[in-house]
Amino acid sequence: MPARSRTITSAVAVAATAVVLAGCGNSPDSGQAPAAGNDVQLVAEGKLTTCTHLPYEPFQFNDGGKIVGFDVELVDLVATKLGVTQEIIDTPFEGIQSGEDLNIGKCDVAAAAMTINDVRKQNFDFSEPYFDATQALLVKSSAGITATDAATAAQALAGKRVGVQSSTTGQEWAQENLPNSELVVFEDLGLLTTAAQTDQVDAAINDNGPLLDFAKKNPEMAVTAEFDTDEQYGIGVKKGNTAVLQAVNEAIATARTDGTYDKIYEKWFGKAPGA
Amino acid sequence: MALTRRQRARLGRGVQYAIAVAVVLLVALTADWATIGRAFFDLEVAASQFPGVIVIALRNTIVFTALGFVVALALGLVLALMRLSSVRIYRLVAGAYVEFFRGLPALLIVIAIGFGVPLAFGTILDRTVAITLALGIVGSAYIAETVRAGIQSVPRGQVEAARSLGMSPLRTMVFIVIPQAFRIVLPPLTNELILLTKDSSLAFLLGTTLEQQELAQFGRSALNQFRSLTPILVVGLCYLIITIPLSYLARRLERKYGSAGMPKGAEV
Repeated sequence: MPARSRTITSAVAVAATAVVLAGCGNSPDSGQAPAAGNDVQLVAEGKLTTCTHLPYEPFQFNDGGKIVGFDVELVDLVATKLGVTQEIIDTPFEGIQSGEDLNIGKCDVAAAAMTINDVRKQNFDFSEPYFDATQALLVKSSAGITATDAATAAQALAGKRVGVQSSTTGQEWAQENLPNSELVVFEDLGLLTTAAQTDQVDAAINDNGPLLDFAKKNPEMAVTAEFDTDEQYGIGVKKGNTAVLQAVNEAIATARTDGTYDKIYEKWFGKAPGA
Repeated sequence: MALTRRQRARLGRGVQYAIAVAVVLLVALTADWATIGRAFFDLEVAASQFPGVIVIALRNTIVFTALGFVVALALGLVLALMRLSSVRIYRLVAGAYVEFFRGLPALLIVIAIGFGVPLAFGTILDRTVAITLALGIVGSAYIAETVRAGIQSVPRGQVEAARSLGMSPLRTMVFIVIPQAFRIVLPPLTNELILLTKDSSLAFLLGTTLEQQELAQFGRSALNQFRSLTPILVVGLCYLIITIPLSYLARRLERKYGSAGMPKGAEV
């Protein structure tokens, strides 16, 4: 091939690159949407976008084509306050708890039954606590595995396969307190509870809320221990986004005083808070 | 043992059949069919998947794949031409690109684009744009190599004939070489489309609303909701609805244009 035709090849390549790049440049820019409220900036116009990780019954789960749950109704209150509707995005939990989803503007708030802790506080800002939780132990009722605290749990679960959920405080707790157990990490709560139900693991460690709910709906399973880890859930907001954070805090405070909080709590947990 | 060659062949085949039958029997006898039936063939759960699995999940899978493939094809063509360029820097850049993206799992590329592009440019990518870009990059590295091989396999005589008829090098490339190359690479490109269809399942990493779920995530979500494996079977069948016609098409094209790539009877 003569040299000139090679230069032509290059010219075609450059031209085509330019076309492709120009095409990319025209892609819709959905960032920097205008403000919805006073000084509240939302990532998508007219919507309060929530990042969560499904399923986490009864906090958020897909119920026949609709995402419902305790967290969903709580954030709905925030959306109503801002005069917008809530849109829920289901995304892997690592992105939520690392703060990256909030940083890149995927969502305005992260509501995923998420425990407030120091590591997460460095990644994003938390609202005031809205729910008390502890770690709990889910086993087959027939297995007879019980414990009263971390030490007895370590004994009872020594040499056993214990399931945990990726990036959760339950995983951390198990890593610290169950040195002699084989930890199996699952991507979401559904896979974790199914694994415990089908004997792929001997026990599962997760927050008490969803495990108690699961045991209630599946009589062959039981929550035989809760470990008083004194955890509190908070709603995540991008660092420095005080306008949204304030709206979330005000919505929670109002709900607590006007009885809406108690009503929602009873709806999803079947009892009054603290009862 | 004095066996004739024919007897030995027959004996060998007999042993193969025996092993196959033994494996099938072993699986059939040890599997818990009642449980499998309940888990995978729950008709009630299967029925509840419709019409969502078609109008939402299958549709999204097809849209993501088609958009990704268009980007992959455009980028792949550019990269192929760069690899064949006389300009050294183009060859190096294209070579590095292909080696880099062909060597990474698609999962990493989707995460890197989903988080990296918004962080770097301070703008949120629309989800469809992000998955299109990721699939485009994954596919382009493979397509570049396929197209390059296709261009190189167009006989030199074609270029010489075009040039001697007075066509410019650019016209020769665009109207003589590339059309023939594309006919040659159609079957492997169809295979690439099948691979991209399956890679589109990684869209879940970018976060989705319920309306944005593609097949794999739709199935996983239903698996959690119903605690039944039937949705996995349903979405699996949906993937086959896409991929089996495509691989049939690839075989047809291959037969039509011959394994050497040239149309039957064409003078080389």
